[in-house]
Amino acid sequence: MKKLWLVFLYEYKKHVMRKRFIFAVLSMPLFVAFMIGIGFLSVWLQYNKEPVGYVDPNQVLVNPQQVPEKEKTLFKPVESIAYQDESAAKQALESGQIQAYFVFSEDYLSTGKVTMKTLTKASSNAKGDFGDFVSYNLARDLPKPVFERLSEGDKITIRSLDGSREMGSDNWMVMMLPLLAGVLFIIAVNISGGYLMQAVVEEKENRTMEILITSVSPTQLMAGKVVGDIMVGLTELVIWILFVVVGLKIAPLFFEIGPIPSMDAKYILLLAGTLIPAFVMVAAAMGALGATATEAREAQQMAGFFTLPIVVPFWFTSQIMFNPNGALAIGMSMFPLTAPIALPLRAGFTNIPWWQTTITISVLVVLAVFSLWLSGKIFHIGMLRYGKKVSLKEAFRRS
Amino acid sequence: MSTIKVSQISKSFGPLKAVNEVSFEVEPGEIFGLLGPNGAGKTTSIRIILDIFKPDSGSVSVLGGNMTEEKKNKIGYLPEERGLYQDIPLDRCLVYLSTLKGLSENDARDRVEEYLERFDLTQSRKKKVKELSKGMQQKAQLITTLVHKPEIIIIDEPFTALDPVNTQMVKDLLLEERAKGTSIVMCTHQMHQVEELADRIALINKGRTMLYGTLDSIRRQFASEAVIVRSLDELPTDLPGVSQIQKKNSHTLLQLNKGTTAQDVLRELIKRNVQVEQFEIAMPDLDEIFIQVVKSEGVPE
Repeated sequence: MKKLWLVFLYEYKKHVMRKRFIFAVLSMPLFVAFMIGIGFLSVWLQYNKEPVGYVDPNQVLVNPQQVPEKEKTLFKPVESIAYQDESAAKQALESGQIQAYFVFSEDYLSTGKVTMKTLTKASSNAKGDFGDFVSYNLARDLPKPVFERLSEGDKITIRSLDGSREMGSDNWMVMMLPLLAGVLFIIAVNISGGYLMQAVVEEKENRTMEILITSVSPTQLMAGKVVGDIMVGLTELVIWILFVVVGLKIAPLFFEIGPIPSMDAKYILLLAGTLIPAFVMVAAAMGALGATATEAREAQQMAGFFTLPIVVPFWFTSQIMFNPNGALAIGMSMFPLTAPIALPLRAGFTNIPWWQTTITISVLVVLAVFSLWLSGKIFHIGMLRYGKKVSLKEAFRRS
Repeated sequence: MSTIKVSQISKSFGPLKAVNEVSFEVEPGEIFGLLGPNGAGKTTSIRIILDIFKPDSGSVSVLGGNMTEEKKNKIGYLPEERGLYQDIPLDRCLVYLSTLKGLSENDARDRVEEYLERFDLTQSRKKKVKELSKGMQQKAQLITTLVHKPEIIIIDEPFTALDPVNTQMVKDLLLEERAKGTSIVMCTHQMHQVEELADRIALINKGRTMLYGTLDSIRRQFASEAVIVRSLDELPTDLPGVSQIQKKNSHTLLQLNKGTTAQDVLRELIKRNVQVEQFEIAMPDLDEIFIQVVKSEGVPE
């Protein structure tokens, strides 16, 4: 058993200590940060902090006040300045004091009609901020609770009849988590399985295999590799999750992101129960592919056979969300290769009968063990075979 | 007690019988040459000894019994298909492979350092294996074979890609290991190396053992009735009992009639005042024996 851990440690360190791994780990959060940065940049480029003017001939707004600034905001709302008449506003616009001005119509309270005038194109924030300014001043005198409800809107919670499941408008995690977990799962399984496949093919290609199997039993060698490469994938996952946690801690310092919902323990268990055996199943199968293939490129092409079905539920996300008890959703959540994504996604929107969850997870566990066994078998037969594939028929015949 | 005892092993791959009732034993402190043309069944026999393949029939005993994980630590193996991890530094590769042979990481580091120095590879220890020359990789591979001080060494074509200086170094190493009592099984096509190093040999052809024994006994078995003579004088053509005289580059080969001994010929030459510089019984070299056996000329009665 000691050699299993030696193989595991070597395999793990070999990948984790490579520059390529560090780059791969950092590239995902950097990419996300970059995309967020681009988003902010594009808003910032369109943001115009110049004030806007308005002409209110019928005194719709009584004793108007600026909207109070939020504590944490990156973009302050523009100031709205009142003008006696349109010619004064026009003069201010032409002299560059304001970026645009709005004129309330005579029948504003019944029609809501406002005309905006500008020299060029006004920034998108100008219209929004002026709208907030008008709403704020129209409703300001209402009792505070009524005013808050009006400005913040409803918080609708959808609850199942037995009360076991609920989804609130602020519980975005229910929808996000399975999608996020699914994406991370696909990436991690590809990384782990890919590393495993690559390691086995490389050892065959560079003929290290013969040295290895005269030092350590094929079973220990394969088990060490599987555990090592799965840990590489999990390390990436953990690092990414840490980035998400840190991101969620840092983000509120700069802007409001709303409450972070807590996660249901049962749901986390369901996620783990589905993803872990699926992970082992796919990674081991990819390791076996490595042992059957004659060269790395060929193994990579064959790997698509396993990874493609995993992403299929993403194409049917809306069908699963809107009809989580339909035949398609049930079928996908129970078929082993689509279950890792479909089952947690479905569980976010419906109560899955316990027997369905039990069958799916049991089948995944059995397949994970079978996959490990088969890959060990194929590995044993194919490890010293150069230039000739091992067929599945042969693996079963000789087992 | 033999360190390796191979008894009547057979192994087939589909319709091909790769090894057919092969038997031999290897003693402690000897270099045993396992010879044969390509595809003769040498590598399969070795893989059966190393428990990579199971024989269809027959048995193998290594260090007094079946192969175990512990016994794997007592064997050093240099396969014909050389292989080392290409993308990692040489010392890391060697230390890892040494720990798989049961050495602790510290011991592995110390021994690897020692061997790197001996093999003149210290300067290259941080280089990736793929950056090393073929000869250097060959030496590195030899380190993995020897580093854990094995009781049995099995080496397949150990001199491939080595220059004469390194070839001599490897020979010295093998002789040193033999002196320590290590059993060495050496597979090679280089017959002069076998003649120089091996104590006993087995020659396998088409899966069968064709020859087995000490080098001397095998050469005598193949010795024809002929003598080699080197002389400054022209040799007489009418020597009694000589059926044929063949002039070679540096000597003359005299084929003797049945019943004529080398002593008779030497006596006659001296009687006729021929100045004899060299006179010896013509023994075939291993190359000739190899070719004769492989070309199915068979083993003489």
